[in-house]
Parts: sequence; C-alpha cells; structure tokens
Amino acid sequence: MSQILFSLRGVVKRFEQREALNLERLDLEAGVITVVEGPNGAGKTTLLSLLALITPPDQGRLFFDGHELPRSGSQLTAWRRQITLVAQQAYLFDTSVEKNVAYGLRLRGLERVQREVRVGEALAQVGLTEFAPRPAKRLSGGEMQRVALARALVLRPRALLLDEPFANLDPASAQVFERVLGELPGQGCAVVLVSHALEQAHRLAQRVVYLRDGRLAPDAGPRPGA
Amino acid sequence: MRLRVLLIVLLTFLLAAPAMAVDRLVLATTTSTANTGLLDVLLPAFTKHSGITVHYIPVGTGKALAIAKRCDADVVIVHAPALEERFVADGYGVDRQALMHNYFVLVGPPGNPAKVQQAGSVVDALKRIAQAKAPFLSRGDNSGTQVKELALWKAAGIKPDWPGYREAGRGMGPTLTMADELGAYTLSDIATYRKYLSTGRISLVILADNQDLLKNPYSVILVNPAKCPKVKYDQAKKFEKFLLSPQGQEIIADYKADGKKLFWPVHPPK
Amino acid sequence: MDFFLGGLTRGLGLLINLDPEVYGIAWLSLRVSLSAVILAALAAVPLGLVIGQREFLGKRFLVVLFNTLLALPTVVVGLVVYGLLSYHGPLGGMGILYTPWAMVAAQAVLAFPLITALVIAAVITLDNRVGPTALTLGATPMQAAWAVLREARFAVLAALAAGFGRVITEVGAAIMVGGNIRHYTRTFTTAIALETSKGEFAQGMALGFFLLVVALAVNLASHQLQARWK
Repeated sequence: MSQILFSLRGVVKRFEQREALNLERLDLEAGVITVVEGPNGAGKTTLLSLLALITPPDQGRLFFDGHELPRSGSQLTAWRRQITLVAQQAYLFDTSVEKNVAYGLRLRGLERVQREVRVGEALAQVGLTEFAPRPAKRLSGGEMQRVALARALVLRPRALLLDEPFANLDPASAQVFERVLGELPGQGCAVVLVSHALEQAHRLAQRVVYLRDGRLAPDAGPRPGA
Repeated sequence: MRLRVLLIVLLTFLLAAPAMAVDRLVLATTTSTANTGLLDVLLPAFTKHSGITVHYIPVGTGKALAIAKRCDADVVIVHAPALEERFVADGYGVDRQALMHNYFVLVGPPGNPAKVQQAGSVVDALKRIAQAKAPFLSRGDNSGTQVKELALWKAAGIKPDWPGYREAGRGMGPTLTMADELGAYTLSDIATYRKYLSTGRISLVILADNQDLLKNPYSVILVNPAKCPKVKYDQAKKFEKFLLSPQGQEIIADYKADGKKLFWPVHPPK
Repeated sequence: MDFFLGGLTRGLGLLINLDPEVYGIAWLSLRVSLSAVILAALAAVPLGLVIGQREFLGKRFLVVLFNTLLALPTVVVGLVVYGLLSYHGPLGGMGILYTPWAMVAAQAVLAFPLITALVIAAVITLDNRVGPTALTLGATPMQAAWAVLREARFAVLAALAAGFGRVITEVGAAIMVGGNIRHYTRTFTTAIALETSKGEFAQGMALGFFLLVVALAVNLASHQLQARWK
C-alpha cells in the first residue's frame, strides 16, 4: 500500500485571467513514478512549479504528507526542502560541477566532509565523477542535465519533479536518466515527470496522468500493467 | 555568508578607526589667507596658547559669509568691507575688528596694449584700459577681490561693459593663468600673483601697487550667538583676542613667503 | 609642460618619502570613499536586485530614473547634502557638517544611483532561471537573492568599482560638505584643487598620481575578491 504524498484539492492557477490549471482532485503517491502527459500549453509545467512550491496556487488547497501547506512564508522553505525539481534545460550555476551539486547541501548546513561524500556518490550515480572540478558552464547539454540530476539526487528528496527530462538528451545521458529514475521508487521517492508521450517515459511510468487545457482528462488513473 | 561578515567588519573598521568628530572652532576664510600659509602658522600658535583647535574652510569671501549666515561657522576672516558691513548690519556678525591688510596689484601683459603708465595711479590705469577697450579679466565669483575690483571701477567712474571685459568665474590662480593667455589685465592679490610669477607660469607684470585705493583690509568677525545659538562665541572671542594681541600681531608681521612680507597687522609691533 | 614630468617624479617622491601629511590625505580619501561605497551598496545592491528581478508597474520608470540620476553633477549633490547637514537644515542637529562623516554621506548619495543602475543592468541581463533554481534546491528567498547576486558577481563588483571610482575622484561634493580642512577633511581631490589654485601644479599632479596608485590597490584587492567569490 503506497502512501499519498501530494494531495491537490480544487487547485486553480491563473495567468492573466486565463485558467492555466484547474484540478478538482489529484493525489500523487510516494514510491511511484507518475508521468504527466498532454499537449503543449496543457499546464504541465505549471503543475510542476506548483508541486515544487515555486508558484503558489490562486485557489484551492495543497497537502504534502498529510499537512496543508501555506501559500507563502518562511515555513514554506522547510517543506520545499523535501521536494526538488529538475527543469528542462536546467540552469547550472557559474562555478564548478561539484559546487553546483553541493549547493543544496550547503543551504541545509551540512558539514564539508559529509557534503563531499554525498556529492561524490551523486556524481558517481550519473557517471560524472571525473567532471567534479570542471566549470559547469562548459559541459555539453546532456552532461549539464546529468549534473542537474545529481544536484537533485544529492538532496535525497521525498519527491523529485522533472520537466521533459528526455528532451534533447544524447543516448548515453538518456540511459543514465532511465537507470537512475528507475531506482527511485524503491527508495520511497515520489517521481513526477512531465513528458510528451515518449518511449522512455512510458517504460518508466507506473501511472500516467493526462492533462488537457489545465484539467485532468477522464482516463487518468493507475496503469494496470505497471 | 563569510563575505557579508567581512563587509560588516570592514565597514566598522573604516568608520570607527579614529574618532572622526572633534571639538573645534570653524573658521570660514578666504583662499588668499589660506594659500599663503599664514593660517598654518597662526592657528597652531593659538591652539598652543588656548588648547582650542581651529578648522579653517578656505573659500571666497562671499561664500565664507554665506556659510556664516547659515550658522555653519563660528568666526570669519574676510576682506570685503562693503559685504562685511552689511553682514554686521543684518545682525549676522558681531565684534568686527580690523586685523591686517595688504595690497591688491593691477597686473597686465608685458606688451601693455593700453599703454598704462607703470607705477601710476590705479584710477588712471583703469581709465586707459577702458579707453583702449583692452581685454580685462574679472574674477566674477563675488570674492573679496572682485568686490574690490568693482569698487575701483566705480572710483574711476567707468562702467566696464566693452566686449573685452570678461568674467572668469574662477579662483585667483586660474584667473591669472587665463589673463596671461588672453593677454588681459586683471586685479590680483599679491601672494597668488607672486607665486604664479615665481614658478614661471605667467609673465604678467605689476602696473599698480601699494596705494591707498588698492589697500586690501582683512577683518575678523564673530558669528552672532543671538542668531546662531549653537555657535561657540566664547571660544571665538578668545581667538579674536589672540589675533589682535601682541603675539598674534607679531606672527602676522613676521610672516614671509618666499622671503617677502605679505601682511601688515593693524597694530604693528614696535 | 614641465609639470608632467615634475609631477610624476614628485609623486614617486611622495610615495617613497612617506610624507605624513600626504599619507594622512590618502588614508582619509580611502576611508571616506570606501565607507561611502559600502554604505551606498548596502542600499543600492538589494534595490537593484529587486528592480532588476521583479516585474511590477513602474519598473521602466525606475530604470530610467536611476539612469537619469547618473547625470547629477557632484556639486549639486554637494549642495543638497550641505543643505541637509547645515545648521539650518533638517539634519543640522547632527553637527556633522565639515567632518569626514559629511563627506561619507555626500559620496554615498553620489554612489547610490550609479551602483543601483549598474546592478539593475547586471541583474536584468542575467538568466531569469537563477532564482527559481535556487528555490527548488531549498534556498530561502534571501539565499535565492544571494545566488542571483553571485551569478552576476562580475558585474556587481564592477558596479562597486565604478561607484568607488566616481566618489574618490569627485571634488565638488567633498569640498562643499567637507570644507577641505587641513589634516581633517582634506582628501586627494580637494588637496589637488587647492594645490592647483595655489599654482602648485606639480604637487597637484603628484597627488593625482598617488591617487591612481591607491585606486589601483583597491581595484587589485576587489579583483582578488572576485576571483575567490564563487
């Protein structure tokens, strides 16, 4: 029996009068890879930024791990620290690969020795151990995405959100993503990835949610085969 | 994080290093007294005598009086009798005392296009300049020197309005340099003129000197405590008394720049 | 033009001979200008960050306003600060006119719009994903702002260096509110103005040369900081 991590109730987000998202009811479980599908402009990225607690909803209630979350304020940061997001073409800070990966750990006040161990582990997971001292801005697109993935993994998030992780990836990097993401449900992490219906996404998906015009399509539900 | 701490430490260090505020008298005065170096001899002697520090602000006479009117100075030493009288009459200044004098000099280009008679009377010289419509450069900054210059034109009965008469809008030094380059006549205090001449920067020559009309009297005036309650009147009074005491007057009489006497005190020591 | 060479050799002489008066002038200039830049930066950097990062009504107007304030003549700033600090001014009670504090205040006012405008420019051109990225990695809003600043560090330090350059070279405001008091509020620029008015051109050149050396030292130090700030 998997535990519900995110619960959205009547959540509405508008951009200049237009309703970008309107979700009556959506629950996302821990230990499950959920793929959000839908055409462009369906509200997928908005949903991710809402789940990442970057964009506050205009209306509705958002629960995480059974607690109702505030719209803003200092407590939000504590909640946000349990969730992380890998954006499409993620932004890497203008510094070395290892400092990029260590950034979130520094924010959490981890000591240097611990940081180094965990950064080493995360870089090994994405196959970039050798890249640690390099300037992050000089990597290829696929390598940059892998750094972004390591930067998220190192935080051991309870929920990992990914926006189009397989877009513009070279085959080797795509393989890394598939392998690493596949391991996460076993660790109890909720994975939510937004994707056009791609092959890799479907191989990983344990559940698929369809968005259309900001609303859940009726055929959303657990995939029987997963 | 460490950077922020560093900045704060740096700031406190910079701001707190020495005590920046001191107990002092503020003297607003003319650049001519300051630039000659006289105050750098006179003020330390007073500090030694009284324990009072004096900070002088070197500006033109007009500005020195303006500063004093706003209660931003305790005492002034200036050289424009007409302005001084108004300053006292308007109630801003009290205890005005004559301190010393020197002489303005009328200087002009060595070619002397207006054919001014050397060592003649200054009124005659100005008349010739006006007649020849020769170039004349005025300070144009409401300084004691300009006030004097305007008084001299008035004494000569001339309205300086020909095209060659111009206002520099600058201090004495730059005005002398400009006059030199324009081949113009101008009125100068003796100290600045000598300084510029000795460094070879100008070739202007003295055409009129040492006559009563060119006398340049300096006064000391205290700022009226009735108008400016925070003014340090008692200390300023001590300063004035010191300046007029035999000791102060002797320092003024003995002061020389480049071997030449620059000021004549009102009470010359015997 | 003998005073070029004379000024240069005399400038070297001043540096080497440790003339206490000149070193006092250098130390005061440095202290006043650095304090002014830091004070101005404490307000200008956060403000520039907010204006550059946020979208709000009137943003364009503010950007234009700060760019316009760059054209403010130093003498006018001096006049305004003098008016404020003068005995009859609203801040006259502080009694800091004709003290180094007054110069710090005037120079901070001068540096403020410049630093703000340059920080806005630095932040506006920066990738707008920096802040959100920091937030998703667990940053507080303050930490996210700091991350933005760090990404724009070259431009931000250049803004501070420009602010320093503006205030240590300005003479109008310093002379008006500082009074050019010997051993007390005489900075490089006011001393140069005085020496020039006295006709001591070589001494003025020498001081100008010395000022450049001090500015060089400050810029080298800030460059070091830039190299270490990652």
